[in-house]
Amino acid sequence: MRGLIISLEGVHALRDRKLHTFFMMAGTVVGVAALIVIMAIGRGTERKVMKRVNNFGPRAMMLIAGGGKDLPPPDMTVTTLTLEDAEAVRAGVEGLEIVTPMAWKMYTPVKRETNQIRAVIWGVEPQWHQAYNWHTEIGEGISAEDVAALSRVCVIGKTVSEELFGGQNPVGGRIYLNKVALTVKGVLTEAGTSPGGGDFDNKVILPITTAMRRVLNVDYLGAVRIITSDASLMKQQTEQIRALISRRHHITPPEEDDFRIVSALVIAELARGISRTLYYMLLALAALSLLIGGVVMMNLLLISVNARVAEIGLRRALGASRGDIFIQFLTESLSVTLLGMLLGGLLGWAVCELLLYTAKISLILSWQQFAVALIFALLIGTFFGVQPARRAARLHPVEALR
Amino acid sequence: MIELENIEKTYFTGGIQTQVLKGISFHVAAGEYMAIMGPSGSGKTTLMNIIGCLDKPTGGNYRLEGINTVGLDDEPLAKVRNSKIGFVFQLFNLLQRTTAFKNVLLPLIYSEHFPQDAAKRAEKALAAVGLADRMHFRPNTLSGGEQQRVAIARALITNPSIILADEPTGNLDSQSGAELMGVFKNLHEQGRTIVVVTHDRSIAEQAQRVLLLKDGMISGQESSR
Repeated sequence: MRGLIISLEGVHALRDRKLHTFFMMAGTVVGVAALIVIMAIGRGTERKVMKRVNNFGPRAMMLIAGGGKDLPPPDMTVTTLTLEDAEAVRAGVEGLEIVTPMAWKMYTPVKRETNQIRAVIWGVEPQWHQAYNWHTEIGEGISAEDVAALSRVCVIGKTVSEELFGGQNPVGGRIYLNKVALTVKGVLTEAGTSPGGGDFDNKVILPITTAMRRVLNVDYLGAVRIITSDASLMKQQTEQIRALISRRHHITPPEEDDFRIVSALVIAELARGISRTLYYMLLALAALSLLIGGVVMMNLLLISVNARVAEIGLRRALGASRGDIFIQFLTESLSVTLLGMLLGGLLGWAVCELLLYTAKISLILSWQQFAVALIFALLIGTFFGVQPARRAARLHPVEALR
Repeated sequence: MIELENIEKTYFTGGIQTQVLKGISFHVAAGEYMAIMGPSGSGKTTLMNIIGCLDKPTGGNYRLEGINTVGLDDEPLAKVRNSKIGFVFQLFNLLQRTTAFKNVLLPLIYSEHFPQDAAKRAEKALAAVGLADRMHFRPNTLSGGEQQRVAIARALITNPSIILADEPTGNLDSQSGAELMGVFKNLHEQGRTIVVVTHDRSIAEQAQRVLLLKDGMISGQESSR
């Protein structure tokens, strides 16, 4: 009870010096808010990255025709990526689970009776289904026999199925691609849209041999999909594949590659937007602002102690022990910290909501972030509050009253 | 009530010893009104600090109501100050940001148990010094004399054994000073024990007994009445 009443004296001192209190608290408010916002953005980004990487395939790499740094689709004017390249990768790079070539044609007319749409054409091997973990919902996928026999069959995406067949079961139905009649074997499960807004389901899949020799009449590939057996080897394997294909394509620097390799690592980096290093730097900066806030608070408290020497002397004369003075001043700094934590927490939350509404930044707000920021602020507040309280408590009453 | 035996106080600063009090002995009886008078540098402030338990002597014995205060630690000493001594300072020493009423309440915060009737006691103490109508004024809206009376009310609220006043009129004009001395006279008549420290003979002479201090020693005693 006595301690509580003495603590209240500390709180009153803050109320009586509002501007002073505001400055003492500013660093804590900004620091806590910044920590919460940055952590929320960090978690939001990580989730986004995870989603993109899982969509792409966490162990996937794509060897794509055409240089540069773009994501798929391949550059349709580049004709140098071949089945032999895919075979060379399969034979020459260790630790690869799947290497599966793909012929590729962007929006191509697909007809059924009087209906016509444009869809992306992929010529694939049976392993393609495993490589993309993308299977049929109805009917069957592309088989080895289909590839061997150049069968006139296809598997269609959900969008194509709906556009051309409406509510009907497309399996057994017939569609035309470049005047070649293909029997629908199956329908792929729905994949949704790409981050760029493209429709993954607007697709026709056929045996790679049928695609290359009967439909597209090409001897080159659009891409090779590669799945590693160990994600930690991906960076190294990417380099091996790059070296191998450069050699096979007789590319000598400074000549640019006529192919590119997009891996889950590249996807993660692109999705992340800001790099991890930058993220941790921002986090450190926010923590630093809390620390500086603590130092500022300590100095303002020390100034306050010096300005209130007479008050401290008086309190001592009226019966305050050293401990009582310590409690009063520690309460003062802790109250500033707690108030700063409260306002900082609210500010951080408000900024997060605002960012969610206006900037559509992917962020995830959780109680853990509040806990981390607030515990950190409390530790700093306590650490920097003790010194001024000790200084106040150590004052000799006689000196203080002089 | 107050028993000082051979009190010494020596300061050590930068290897130099300065003996401020050189063996002072006297008693103050309960209900007595005593003045300690001496020129500046005579050690009277140091003596007052020791009587008020703000400072400890380097030699001798000091008993306050039978309690030997010399051996006490910070906390019990604070308790003694709180419960047995009422201070009145030359500069009033009021908290400027709080009302007269709250200033008077301040010592009770540090008492062992905050009394239930604290507010009533504060009102009564302020009324006793004639400030019933100034209770919720801030110190800077009160005159010097009124401020010092607030300080006296504050000294009275814990019902202390002695009132210890250090140059209480030092910052007042002569009329306010005379009024204030009237308050002390009243308190004395009510049976309070009062010790006033001053360099002013006209103030000292209002006490029953005057202790003359010179160079850290008692140089004489006078009984004015």
